[in-house]
Amino acid sequence: MPRDTLADLADEALVVLYAHGDPDAARLLAGRLLPRVLGYAGRMLADRAEAEDVAQEAMLRLWKVAPEWRQGEAKVSTWIYRVVANLCTDRLRARRRRRAEALDDVAEPADGAASVVAGMIEADRMAALDQALAALPERQREAVVLRHIEGFSNPEIAEILQIGVEAVESLTARGKRALAALLSGQRAALGYEEAE
Amino acid sequence: MMDDLDDLLAGASRALVQPSEALVARVLADAADLQARPVWVAAVVPRAGWLAGLAALFGGAGSLVGVGSAAVVGLFFGFVQPDGLGAVSDMWAVGSVDQVDLMPQLDVLLAEE
Repeated sequence: MPRDTLADLADEALVVLYAHGDPDAARLLAGRLLPRVLGYAGRMLADRAEAEDVAQEAMLRLWKVAPEWRQGEAKVSTWIYRVVANLCTDRLRARRRRRAEALDDVAEPADGAASVVAGMIEADRMAALDQALAALPERQREAVVLRHIEGFSNPEIAEILQIGVEAVESLTARGKRALAALLSGQRAALGYEEAE
Repeated sequence: MMDDLDDLLAGASRALVQPSEALVARVLADAADLQARPVWVAAVVPRAGWLAGLAALFGGAGSLVGVGSAAVVGLFFGFVQPDGLGAVSDMWAVGSVDQVDLMPQLDVLLAEE
């Protein structure tokens, strides 16, 4: 199939074409999905190398599931974000376990906000946002990133995180309030002072 | 602060993370590797429609067509009753048949032993 025609197709159709051996379908899917899943994994893990591993693994799972893909039953974007969310959760758990083992007798910092404030002095606005996001509880971070950065609707987030829509609304609201609290008082560092 | 935060989040939403060339190459290599496997395309199972299911029930599309045709011809004869059909059936049937015992009773069989 010509590349121009392929570019107009939905992700779901491209997955089916890939499964039928179309060599360009994988390239187009990777071009569409990889930046998004990499960005999401990067915000969840705050580690570029780990985010790349997760993004590659998520794409690999998509290639593997392609022959059984049923058009109309699920959106590829929702499906792959769910895979990324689960992979990130596994890695964050493993990280916490390793940290607990390594720092068995060393007290954890009481609050991530202090490091956020310190980090913002030299960081740009996006870095400050990422640091503040990293200080949020995992579920709140997932909900805020999926809603406000990745642009998913609440029902889609509920599908990705496999929770109810009400829980998504609650997590998003609490996460955003916590984020505002973490960033409050840092308007100058965020470049908003002139707007006042 | 909420307005500023919305602004900040919108900015983050617009900023697309670019994957490295090495990562893209790894992902495409995975895709090509799986696609190259001999069982790959054979594993693709098209969704079977109700007609395909019905054909499978009759042992294939050919059998389904045969059974369907016989049913249509039977219905045709039932409705039109062509002239001469009665004469042909009279020729085959010798006399009248009132009763055909397809399931002989057990006592008849026992009596024969």
